[in-house]
Amino acid sequence: MLTPSAMPRPALRHETVLLAVVLLEWLCFHALGPRFGTLENSFDLLRHSAEIGLLALAMTPVILTGGIDLSVGSLLGLCAVLYGKLWRDAGLDPGAAAGCTLALGALAGGLNAALIAGLRLPPLIVTLGTYSLFRGLAEAITRGADTFTNFPASFLFLGQERWLGLPSQAWLFAAVAAAVWLLVHRTTFGRACRAHGFAPEGARHAGLPAGRQLAAVYMLSGLIAALAAVIYTARLGQARADAGTGYELLAITAVVLGGTSIFGGRGTVHGTLLGVAALAILNNGLVHARQPREVAGLLTGALLLLALAAGTAPRLGTAWRARRAPHPSPS
Amino acid sequence: MIKPVLSLFLAGLVLLAGCGRAPDSARDAAGGGKRLTVALLPKSKGNAYFISCRAGAEKAARALGVDLLFDGPTDTDPAKQNEIIENWINLGVDVIAAACENREGISTALRKAQARGIKVITYDADALPDARAFFVNQATPEGIGHTLMDEAARLTNAEGEFAVILSTLTASNMQEWLKHIRARLAEKYPRMKLVAVRPCDDQKDKAQTEATTLLSAHPGLRLLMNICSPAVPGAAEAVKQAGKAVRVKVIGLGLPSENRRYVKDGVTDSVILWKTEDLGALAVEAAVALAKGTLQPGATSFRTATGATYEVKGDQILLGQPFIFNRDNIDQFNF
Amino acid sequence: MKAWPRELSVGLALAALLGALAVFAPGFFAGPPLLSLAAREAPVLLVACGAAMVIVCRQIDISSGSQFAVVSVAAGLLAAEGWPPAAVAAAALVLGTTLGALNGLLVAGLGLPSIVVTLATMVTWREGLRWWRQGAFVNLPDGLQWLGLDQTAGQWTLIAAALGLFTLLAIASRHLAAGRHLYAVGSDAEAARLAGIRPAAVTFGAFTLAGALTALAALMNVIQSPQVDPKSGTGLELKAIAAVVVGGVAIAGGRGRLAGVLLGLLLLATVAPALTHLRIEAHWEKAIQGAIILLAVAAERARGRPA
Repeated sequence: MLTPSAMPRPALRHETVLLAVVLLEWLCFHALGPRFGTLENSFDLLRHSAEIGLLALAMTPVILTGGIDLSVGSLLGLCAVLYGKLWRDAGLDPGAAAGCTLALGALAGGLNAALIAGLRLPPLIVTLGTYSLFRGLAEAITRGADTFTNFPASFLFLGQERWLGLPSQAWLFAAVAAAVWLLVHRTTFGRACRAHGFAPEGARHAGLPAGRQLAAVYMLSGLIAALAAVIYTARLGQARADAGTGYELLAITAVVLGGTSIFGGRGTVHGTLLGVAALAILNNGLVHARQPREVAGLLTGALLLLALAAGTAPRLGTAWRARRAPHPSPS
Repeated sequence: MIKPVLSLFLAGLVLLAGCGRAPDSARDAAGGGKRLTVALLPKSKGNAYFISCRAGAEKAARALGVDLLFDGPTDTDPAKQNEIIENWINLGVDVIAAACENREGISTALRKAQARGIKVITYDADALPDARAFFVNQATPEGIGHTLMDEAARLTNAEGEFAVILSTLTASNMQEWLKHIRARLAEKYPRMKLVAVRPCDDQKDKAQTEATTLLSAHPGLRLLMNICSPAVPGAAEAVKQAGKAVRVKVIGLGLPSENRRYVKDGVTDSVILWKTEDLGALAVEAAVALAKGTLQPGATSFRTATGATYEVKGDQILLGQPFIFNRDNIDQFNF
Repeated sequence: MKAWPRELSVGLALAALLGALAVFAPGFFAGPPLLSLAAREAPVLLVACGAAMVIVCRQIDISSGSQFAVVSVAAGLLAAEGWPPAAVAAAALVLGTTLGALNGLLVAGLGLPSIVVTLATMVTWREGLRWWRQGAFVNLPDGLQWLGLDQTAGQWTLIAAALGLFTLLAIASRHLAAGRHLYAVGSDAEAARLAGIRPAAVTFGAFTLAGALTALAALMNVIQSPQVDPKSGTGLELKAIAAVVVGGVAIAGGRGRLAGVLLGLLLLATVAPALTHLRIEAHWEKAIQGAIILLAVAAERARGRPA
């Protein structure tokens, strides 16, 4: 069987194509909307994409291992509610509540990890279950109705103000992006993730501790989803059980648009960042082009297909091939 | 392959430029007598209620000679309304008229708009009072809750079990109405009992399934109260199929056009709504008047450009009483 | 080692749920409402069968909910134009098959990953429909509901049609060459190719069949009420996929039975009405549903059976 790395390389790297698309989008919307390119709008663009961007960053290593995490949007909702609960009802100060929320997020990610890495259940089913479970817990805790609000200004600063010239959350986002980039591209851990995505059996035979590393990836995903929840709450100034509805699909869209193979093994963090940017600019720019929001959905679909077709262009015409590494076989 | 991809995408964007440029250049060309841009935000898109509001808003915008932007979220995440408003701030619209999905969250963005010199009004569902100048009030949550509960009591002689079907548990207007329904129930109708509250995710089909289940789980049920518009025809169909049209009453908030069939068949007993087109039109009229300075805080009445007069109470412009549509009068309403 | 099949753990969960209902809420088993509920879920069975075919083939289709909505609205508009029911059904089937074939073409022809292709078609159809119709209901002409049959007969017809088709598909997937090919391609496309099977054709066929089944499901839903809601089918793809994977079809392809899918769907479709009957408040529903999915799939591991 042909492994992805053995396939003929496209003439241009996917990231280069995507960078061109992002620049092109920028130029087009700049021409269309006189206020699109202003600093104000660029900063809002950053603020609006921070949460989806964080979830996409969390999703990248997950997909690299050949897995998927459908629960991140629901976990964002659960963590937002938990944050509100800790701050308002348990009386913690905003910082301590954020710390606890992050720990709880990692714990929730740990549930995914235990089922996927521990019991070796397929990630899609497990996270489909926790997708429902986490959102359900958020609704159960608040009875659907409770809304947390009136957060102190010191906390809202994180989502609405600027620090050292940039929106405050942009710094956090940059820090997480850098950390995930280093983790994926500069550590043996990242290489092990990709090895697992390419060929789980092979990785095991090569002596890589598949279980522990898989578990770490899903816990990291939970941790980052909790961070996204805190930023989301600060940006909106409210936390409710429906926070982050549908974000998992947006994050997956950004990751695959960024060139990460859904079958694992292949992909980059900078590709994901470009994918996030391409989608964010599209959504924001179309408002400046005075187009309704449905158009953003239509163009997202088109962009996905085109970006993907570009990546596989050299293989066009060749027969369909199995490009998926076999899953762990019954032992 | 890469070239065609890029050129295709470019072509798409250029095409957009074609449609997108027109109102913009018209606005620039107008120069001194610059056309106002009114941005109208619905709670969500693809909802018959707001389509009707939009039709009224467009008529008013044409009559007043202003540009109307109508856009809203296509999904249920509460952050999306804020993002659209912040984008409009950067776009430089003159007035924003918003129907607020979540009171506290959206106020953050509306206050920011006001700080940038954009006039803000709300319609349909209010924000916090400091985040807008006026609220075009078609009915207070209290008024809606009480009207629904009183109508339910009237139809059931104020006794027996009833259930509520709403859009989602987390929608803040649903919870607000439910709060007032419960308050009225506790205060005035001790012999009635609310036995279940079920969400239908704003889908008629799901409402039909939920209503079918409710009818079999609660055989004593006397009335289904549907407080989101797709649920009314869904619940009516379930009641009709269960053959309980006589015993179980169906009421709710909805559009006459979606319920005419059931009201005439005697399945749905009454549908409560205001004139949605008038609501959209009044929102645009008030927004323009506010931007032009003809509507000032402290006014006690508001006269629209088309000659209608509305009462202003404090910072609320009142649309008037909601209508109760039933078998006798539904043919007079065509929306 | 004797394997504990997923069907057994799902069946046990279903039995436990039904047992609880029999003790605490026997009203659940009353005839007419149960018949109505079964008729409401019958279309989902067809969508789940389509999803199962695609998953057995080691692909995935998350666009079925959007296809369902597009076909429903198109069928409703044609019927409102005065087309006879047979012509409406034919047109809807052609439309659904075409939408499915388009997915198949992109996946099998261009070799694009199915989750990305169907993610793209999912948003495209959904947003396109919203742009076009703005959410307006379609009013159907009189006489289309239950195809002119009396209501009980209509409900039985729908259920019989869904179960009949399900049985045919279950037999075909086990005993017909085309069915075996699905499993062969799903377990190892390269080996299947060497055995003389054309994986691309099989994959294309699976998506096309899924599209046709979704169209049929949409029709079966449309005739149950006199109006079409363009939001219908939202989230249907997740419900179908959940039923398939809970029913024991391996997401990695090549393994699983349609009988399991039926059990999975019965379990998931019983949870929501069961909670209403057991007087459990609605805000617990999603959490309980999630917990049941997790327990059902974790149960087979309790016996130490690996993937």
